[in-house]
Amino acid sequence: MTSDTTAENRRVPIRLRVNGSTESAAVPPRLLLSDFLREGLGLTGTHVGCEHGVCGACTVLIDGTAARSCLTLAVQADEADITTIEGLAEPDGTLSTVQQAFADHFSLQCGFCTAGFLMSIAGELEQGMTEPEIRELLSGNLCRCTGYQSIVEAAVELAGTREA
Amino acid sequence: MTADDVDDVGTYPDYIVINKPVNQRPLRGDVVRYVGAPIAAVAATDRYAAEDAVEALAATLEIDELSPVMTVEQATSDEAPLLYPEWGDNKVVDLVGDRPEVRAALDAAPHRFTETYVVQRQTPLPMETRGVVAEYRDGRLSVWVSHQSPHIARTTYAMLLGLREADVRVVCPRVGGGFGGKTHVYSEEIVVAHLAMKLGRPVRWIEDRAEHLVASVHARDQRHVVDVGYDDEGHIHAMRCHVICDVGSGEVFMAGTCPSLVSGGVMTGSYDFPNLEVSTTCVVTNKTPAGAYRGFGAPEGVFVMERVIERVARLVGKDPNDVRAPMILQQSQMPYTMPGGGRIDSGSHQQTFERVIELGTEALQRVQARFEDDPKVRVGVGYTNYVEPCVPTYFATTGHWAGYDAATIRIEPDGGATVAVGVAEIGQGMVVTTRMLAADALGMNLDDVAVVMGDTDRAPYGLGAWGSRGAVVMAGSVVKAAEVVLDKARVIAAHKLEAAAADVVLEDGAFTVRGSPGGTAVTWAEVATAGVIRTIELPKGLEGGLDAAATYEPYALEHFPDESGRIHAAATWSNAAHAAVVAVDLRSGHISIEEYFVVHDCGTIIHPNVVEGQIVGGVAQGIAGAMYENLPYDPETGQPQFASFMEYLVPTMSEIPPVQTEHFESPAPEMPLGIKGVGEAGTIGPPAAITNAVCFALADYHLDITETPVTPMTIRAAIRGSKDRT
Repeated sequence: MTSDTTAENRRVPIRLRVNGSTESAAVPPRLLLSDFLREGLGLTGTHVGCEHGVCGACTVLIDGTAARSCLTLAVQADEADITTIEGLAEPDGTLSTVQQAFADHFSLQCGFCTAGFLMSIAGELEQGMTEPEIRELLSGNLCRCTGYQSIVEAAVELAGTREA
Repeated sequence: MTADDVDDVGTYPDYIVINKPVNQRPLRGDVVRYVGAPIAAVAATDRYAAEDAVEALAATLEIDELSPVMTVEQATSDEAPLLYPEWGDNKVVDLVGDRPEVRAALDAAPHRFTETYVVQRQTPLPMETRGVVAEYRDGRLSVWVSHQSPHIARTTYAMLLGLREADVRVVCPRVGGGFGGKTHVYSEEIVVAHLAMKLGRPVRWIEDRAEHLVASVHARDQRHVVDVGYDDEGHIHAMRCHVICDVGSGEVFMAGTCPSLVSGGVMTGSYDFPNLEVSTTCVVTNKTPAGAYRGFGAPEGVFVMERVIERVARLVGKDPNDVRAPMILQQSQMPYTMPGGGRIDSGSHQQTFERVIELGTEALQRVQARFEDDPKVRVGVGYTNYVEPCVPTYFATTGHWAGYDAATIRIEPDGGATVAVGVAEIGQGMVVTTRMLAADALGMNLDDVAVVMGDTDRAPYGLGAWGSRGAVVMAGSVVKAAEVVLDKARVIAAHKLEAAAADVVLEDGAFTVRGSPGGTAVTWAEVATAGVIRTIELPKGLEGGLDAAATYEPYALEHFPDESGRIHAAATWSNAAHAAVVAVDLRSGHISIEEYFVVHDCGTIIHPNVVEGQIVGGVAQGIAGAMYENLPYDPETGQPQFASFMEYLVPTMSEIPPVQTEHFESPAPEMPLGIKGVGEAGTIGPPAAITNAVCFALADYHLDITETPVTPMTIRAAIRGSKDRT
């Protein structure tokens, strides 16, 4: 093994809030936030589709802003407030308005990309956005199943009807 | 773990008799034929450590580089290095068509042209890459895998690992898309399972995207060399077509050679076109093995047919739809046997064609008005017709499995049902479709039906999700099993109602005596409790239990070709017509799909939202093939020139337009409930429709596209070439 074992074994303490709970961990500096969420916290609702920031499946909210968890190191999330797909529904399981709109419009098939779309919409969709604006906004999320039409329909409805 | 460490693992069988054998090993040793071939596996306590080790290992690899074979021309040249020296050439399949009447018709035709059409390499690209988790415990191997065919995977694992099939459990929970790519049973699955058995602890491998692009199957990569005879009226007298497919190294199970046979078999689709001779050659090269991808050869064949029609129309100065119209299949011609042997059972070919022309003509006017003030934007409409083979034989693809599928229905004591089927859910909606159909067949509410699939311990043997077949074979087996269960339930209910079983009917979830509305009713729960728990309530002589197993074999197809090579390989045929309206910017070459229409017929529709989702999603993948995705290799070094989504351009919602669908319903006469398939249909049309539309838009520049993807470079080159000529 040629790599530097000292660096590999290094751990950095982090403290962050994930879906309202405070989490503390000592993580390797190179650990991706997506891997920390999935492997460290068992929050496997965040999906990893490319690990180079194009497909958007791993999108989470970092301090309220949609961000790629595969392009973020866990250590960068120190002191941050993270929301993942697990934090979107009500504690009793009632779907959020974004999730309900997806269910109503058949906006998912295999579901792999869905969490990323939901988090992008939850974080960034603004009231009154037009369909072209929505298509531009969500063009950072890839879906291979739906052809996007049903997702656009859900987002358009949300932009017109969602409570601020 | 390297090739030497899997000596005790079997070699994949080469089942297909027309294919030369590739003798695929789970890990490659002496000869490595493509970038992405698995040669070693590293197990570690986490992925970061494993990747460090792989990097260290790679630095120690000693490889003698051989001259790569990267193109059809290289593969078929006399000096070509041979991927499999024992073959004597690089042709894994070579079928020569021989129809003297076609050649005679060609010779007699007033005009001829020859052309070569090229369809690029793509990959199915589910958003979820492949993944395997294996555990060997108490003499049983359990494998959780992202796969389209759980039972086929189990059979293959057991065979290669030397286990009893009963000692292997394969579970495919919530598969994140497949599109054909996960029908194959890959080396990595065998290696991970083998490692788990060797190590005595669970082993997991999740493919990353860079691996996926080189290690999961590619597809398409075809060229068609055609010789076409026609007359001044635009009547196409005959065509010879040589389909040449680059199947990469060929080291994949099941082989990727069958799609090219489908291309020739379905290319004439919705047209009455008897004079077609097809030859098919599959060459091996030093690329990732080609395999199954949604459309399975049909998009390529249809692209070529439609481009030939457009060429003839241009040569004789006719509207292409006037060339199509005399050939379009009429209902009175059903069943219609295509030149390749496929027997189209039914359809609305003429109606879908006529309707899509109405839609496309109106849309063209709208879009022309939209751009009338911009002389640098040209607008065009393009059409295509096609058929989709549904419920095909799997024997032509696998050389082993055929068409069988199965269902079990168990009525639970509380009156609900557990319905287990051999088809699989990969996001296409098979669970909801099964629940809806089973609830209807059993006279139950949706909530009373639990559906089981994707677990070989719980579901009956079946062939999984592929071939636009799931709804048909699921329905065929579920309806049969439901009839058995219902017959017995009626006997039990009749006993309780003190009536004859023949007089008992099931309505609104309750059994009553026919013709006595408001009379005594027995619920499913009461019948089920008597059948399974309170068996003392059963009529004398009736055994307890309320369950049934049934199978479905699609007899309306053939698994073997006849002596002339013709084969009726699919049990039923959906049909569709597409229209694309595009706006092409002459300055940038940018192509915008302004409107897109699909007029479709998949027989009886079970679940409208599922059908809509399949068509629209399929069109998106067709657009991806028509305009964006490509997998080029360096011809000198054999290195792939793609490693990420920065090179492999999957279209986003900025590129994919709204798609408008309309439906006709021509029930399949020989299929259960008249159902046909819909999984692949949408993908077949866009390469032809969009290319035709672009050429319409650029008619002034005499653009005649023969190759996909059609890109801004295609447009700009055509405009520049046109200027050079003038």
